[in-house]
Amino acid sequence: MSDFRASLRAKIAAIEAHARRDAGVLPFGDQRIDGCLPGGGLPLGRWHEIGGVGMEVETAAAPAAFTALMAAPLARQGEVVWVLRRDDLWAPGLAGLGFPPERLIQVCARDEAEGLSIMEDALATVGVAAVVGEVEAADLTAGRRLQLACEKRGSTGFLIRRRPYGGNARREATGSAAATRWRIASAPSEPPPDEFGLGPPRFSVELERCRGGRTGAWLMEAPQAYENGAYDDLEDTHGTHPLRLVAGLGDRQLAPTLPLRRAG
Amino acid sequence: MRAVRRLAAVDFGAAALGLRPGQKATDAMALVPDLAAEEAEPVADAAALTALADWCVRFSPAVAEDGPDGLFLDIAGVSHLWGGEAAMLGDLQARLAANGLPFRCAIADTPGAAWALTRFGADRTIAAPGGQGELIAPLPPQALRLEEQTAAQIERLGLRRVSQLMSIARGPFARRFGRAALTRLDQALGRETEALSFRRPPNPWFARLAFAEPISAPEDMARVSADVAAKLCARLELEGRGARRFEVCFHRLDGKAMPLAIGLALPGHDARRIAKLFAPRLETIDPGFGIEVVTLTAEDVEPISARQARLDTAREATVEEGLAPLVDRLTNRLGEDRVWRARPVESHVPELAVGRARPLAPPPQVRVWDRATPRPTRLFRRPEPVEAVMALTPDDPPTQFRWRGQVHRVRRAEGPERIGEEWWKGVIEDVRVDHVRDYYRVEDADGGRFWLFRAGLYGDPDTPPQWWMHGVFG
Repeated sequence: MSDFRASLRAKIAAIEAHARRDAGVLPFGDQRIDGCLPGGGLPLGRWHEIGGVGMEVETAAAPAAFTALMAAPLARQGEVVWVLRRDDLWAPGLAGLGFPPERLIQVCARDEAEGLSIMEDALATVGVAAVVGEVEAADLTAGRRLQLACEKRGSTGFLIRRRPYGGNARREATGSAAATRWRIASAPSEPPPDEFGLGPPRFSVELERCRGGRTGAWLMEAPQAYENGAYDDLEDTHGTHPLRLVAGLGDRQLAPTLPLRRAG
Repeated sequence: MRAVRRLAAVDFGAAALGLRPGQKATDAMALVPDLAAEEAEPVADAAALTALADWCVRFSPAVAEDGPDGLFLDIAGVSHLWGGEAAMLGDLQARLAANGLPFRCAIADTPGAAWALTRFGADRTIAAPGGQGELIAPLPPQALRLEEQTAAQIERLGLRRVSQLMSIARGPFARRFGRAALTRLDQALGRETEALSFRRPPNPWFARLAFAEPISAPEDMARVSADVAAKLCARLELEGRGARRFEVCFHRLDGKAMPLAIGLALPGHDARRIAKLFAPRLETIDPGFGIEVVTLTAEDVEPISARQARLDTAREATVEEGLAPLVDRLTNRLGEDRVWRARPVESHVPELAVGRARPLAPPPQVRVWDRATPRPTRLFRRPEPVEAVMALTPDDPPTQFRWRGQVHRVRRAEGPERIGEEWWKGVIEDVRVDHVRDYYRVEDADGGRFWLFRAGLYGDPDTPPQWWMHGVFG
């Protein structure tokens, strides 16, 4: 009996391994963060959840900017479909961050369920490298469906948690099929010495959950943002990720900013 | 002058009694004292004729209304679907009779000859190709759709037959009766072409399926829409063409036509894909007592190059395989304005700098947005008011502001970047100083980055400057 069970298990494992094609990883290029992620980089062919802090639950600007930066290397391999609920994503802004806007297809969904089903549809499509969806939350079933869609073609999903019209959270996501869960907040920038104005955009990045890896918190910067040059020039910097790790953050350092922003 | 009430139309019974349209109502009442008369309703008649024209689309996609009481059907290339013109005419008659409509009809090469035969010839005449001349020769001159004055003049001259007109030399004919009369004669004989204004432009890309028994089950409707798509697509494929728009039309037993249209991002002729796009929307079609005919028309037909099926599966996927079907699914489900690609527009006004293009439209040859000037990730459709703005000097960036009920202390700032209105596009008198915007990019103590602007300039007592939040960088 146990032999039978073992052989059945092996069979199932083989089937699962076959279905779950390894789509590889996208390394950040810094051991401090890649070391936390399974396989040494952001797992591709999976979906990732990205949330904001405080008022960003409504505007979701920092999560969107961070997602665009993470998806920029993928946009060179195929189209990126961005599913919106509120039509306020601005292509010139993404272009400034280094995301190729000619690879972006924007879709405006009418409700939450439609947004999720469009994400699923786009993820399973040939020629789509990544799908970004702005929805309030994906429950366990929706998450599994997204995961299955990701596995079909090895495309990567990014789910930005956002309540575009404010209001109270209708439901909290309980558990999730996401490979990673991030919480992104804008962080004060540091312009180079003897320069005016703002420096390159910085984000305080918290990896809250990571399947098969460890959590962590870092301060990251987009050094190439708002630099002159066509997107083709960025091909030269193919090896380097558009996000650069500035420093590690202890949870203690990150903690005080949260209540402050909420109380404001 | 007192208006004279006249008969607008008479039925067969009244005609048998010697009444005719145009007769004075009092004369008619004198002839037939118990005449049943109703007020004429030209508007309702026109609407009914339009409905009948739509109904006739089951016979031919090209239907034109003619005057208050006539229809032209262009049946070139569709009569074979019934197995010939006679069979088609028979079907049309049977259906019109079943609906209780009095009618006359005829088939000829030219609209003019068909008109003449319908109104003045024997009912159900079918003129052989090129044979309309002989058939209309014995008809009275009014059969040529002449103006009233011309017809009266011809009658005065004692010309009673079209054949007599045909024997007059063209020059004298035109001089005496006018160019228009000659044109009418030529049009009837096919010496001159005539343009009909069809309800919709005649479309050769048309397929039709009729059913012996009316259908109404949803699965039957899905199947017949797939069948009719396969029929049309086979023809499209044979000619190496694809279409961007398909409209399927379900003709119900009660004469109503229920259309349903889908669009494709790239012209195509894949019947299965087209049927799949129709499938989710078939439930919006109410079959009523049943559907007897389904038609499919293809629009925006253009040549497409046939693509060989891929042998090498590892090669990069083509647009036709993946993206185009996805875009089709999304646009047909959500509507065309909900799926787009951002396209640069030559304008420095932020809200005008982004246009929307169809996702698979060829990329425009315009410069892309300037990467070096920072622009926000989110741009609000309507700038939101910012209150309690503090600045050291009027032109300095704000040091503190309140937005959405939250006070932000500015840590770093850039600006101003002055953006004026596009005064060269409007009326010069409308150009106002409060349309000038000074944009600042600021970062608050928590790191939040905002794009706000001051509309108007200080020093103008009538219009104090106003601060607005236009976007967030994140």
